[in-house]
Amino acid sequence: MNGNKLAVVLLRVIFAVKQSLPQGGVLLPAVVLALVVQGAQAADAVPTMRPAKAARPELGSSAVFAPDGTLLAVAKQGEHVMVYRSSDEGRSWSPPAVVNAQPEAISADGENRPKIAFAADGALLVSWTHPFPKPNTGSIRFARATDGQTFSPVQTVHRDSAEITHRFESLLVMPDNRVILAWIDKRDLEAAKANKAPWRGAGIYAAVSTDGGRSFQPEHKLADHSCECCRVTSAIDADGAPLFMWRHVFEPNERDHALARLKPDGTVESVQRATFDRWKVDGCPHHGPSLVVDERGVRHAVWFNQKDGAGRVFYGRLAAGSGISVEGQRQVGGPRAAHADMAVAPGKLAIAWKEFDGERTQLRGLISADGGDNFSEIALAATDGASDQARVIRRQDQLFVFWRTEKEGFRLFPLP
Amino acid sequence: MMRRFLPVVLLVAAGSLAAAEFTPLDRIEAQRLLSADKHRQPTVVTLWSSDCGYCKANLKLLSSLTRNNRKLRVITVAAEPENAHLWPMLSRYGLAGPHYAYGSDSPEAISYAIDPNWGGELPRTFLFDGAGRKERISGVLTAPAIEKATGLRF
Repeated sequence: MNGNKLAVVLLRVIFAVKQSLPQGGVLLPAVVLALVVQGAQAADAVPTMRPAKAARPELGSSAVFAPDGTLLAVAKQGEHVMVYRSSDEGRSWSPPAVVNAQPEAISADGENRPKIAFAADGALLVSWTHPFPKPNTGSIRFARATDGQTFSPVQTVHRDSAEITHRFESLLVMPDNRVILAWIDKRDLEAAKANKAPWRGAGIYAAVSTDGGRSFQPEHKLADHSCECCRVTSAIDADGAPLFMWRHVFEPNERDHALARLKPDGTVESVQRATFDRWKVDGCPHHGPSLVVDERGVRHAVWFNQKDGAGRVFYGRLAAGSGISVEGQRQVGGPRAAHADMAVAPGKLAIAWKEFDGERTQLRGLISADGGDNFSEIALAATDGASDQARVIRRQDQLFVFWRTEKEGFRLFPLP
Repeated sequence: MMRRFLPVVLLVAAGSLAAAEFTPLDRIEAQRLLSADKHRQPTVVTLWSSDCGYCKANLKLLSSLTRNNRKLRVITVAAEPENAHLWPMLSRYGLAGPHYAYGSDSPEAISYAIDPNWGGELPRTFLFDGAGRKERISGVLTAPAIEKATGLRF
């Protein structure tokens, strides 16, 4: 944090304290000082460090390899999204670059995290959810760095400016320089509520850019009745069609998953039920899926559901047809397996997840060399403290697991 | 002085200091809280979070049931660290508490101590009849289900 930004923060804090504390009081200077010191510590800290008495950091992070092989991670630090670079597979990290010059609130916990990707034209893209003060509301934010370093002013990708839910975005880049974001959107739920009409779940909206994220067309609806707060995933289908997958609420309250195929203009071609576990619950699973399509065009997914009364992570192939059929469905990990992610490289499919063993959180992986028929399981790491969800990422023919933990920071594990 | 001042600090520092409304929960306290033999009266331990709309329905129902039958004890657990959203959302239900929020212990360790078979879905509710019996329910509660599990009539 430079001097100017620190001064702005200081003024904001003083203003906020004055607003909230009409009688002032002798504690004011001490509190301001304490907050400034704390803010300075947080801003200067690298992700592995944590000030002794600060609030728990929000660990939600994403990572991607640049075309030149550099590892890039994106995470929040206070009211800034930061990009970290590592040229040695995560052993050391550069000082972070600020994505949003103007500070703002950022969601980066649980199913939320900033996303990072490269557009087809080589630009670096970052998206995140900016929460509004009202609980569970926010907007989908996006920034582009044409040179990979200097970010353009942040834009909101949707035209709807209501103080409602636009959260849990998924960022998909296409080879023709389209960029598509889809997110959980409650505008139709809010409209139904205003009319005192019943409404199941939330909805999914998407916005398309045809110029690598310089501008976005007006958003449109992909589906009604999504689940409310599970992360959304995306991939590119065998024929190049964009795919988005999310937890849905099928009638009356079955929280299985839906898969949308989009037309080239980003509108919906089809929305199909993709899993059939029939978890009936009026509740929030906080557990979104992951989807990939391999070089043969086969769709592979991992997801969490309660099936026959037990909550489990599942893997399965989503075979296309008039209706999707799940092939090769199998359990991933043990009864505590959670938040699996997946990636493919030629001839390889990898799943990573975390699993609490009663003492520590284990990071584990499943590797398949035969398109998901057989897997071998490996132990990757463990941590004593809080941790983010695992992300499986690819560099050319190799797959890696990226995992951020409270105690160890960013880590990268090459997979065999 | 300190009590009057705390909400302000919380607002500004976004929960970097503990407020008095919530007791931080760690794995040891969680295990104690969920032990059937520790509850000598009909008790409901209800897990909720600020992003769980269905949890509000449960808190509202439990609030009305405690008014109908004073023997019912309701303990709330926010399955997230204390933050500025929590107390304004919970206080409207007028539940006496105690009220817990996840503390600085590993969140997965706290969840495991609460229930090793819980996948994190909310609302999640544990109902004790006060005589050693314990039931678990995920999702929205109904008064008959609470009556059955606690042995109380509302």
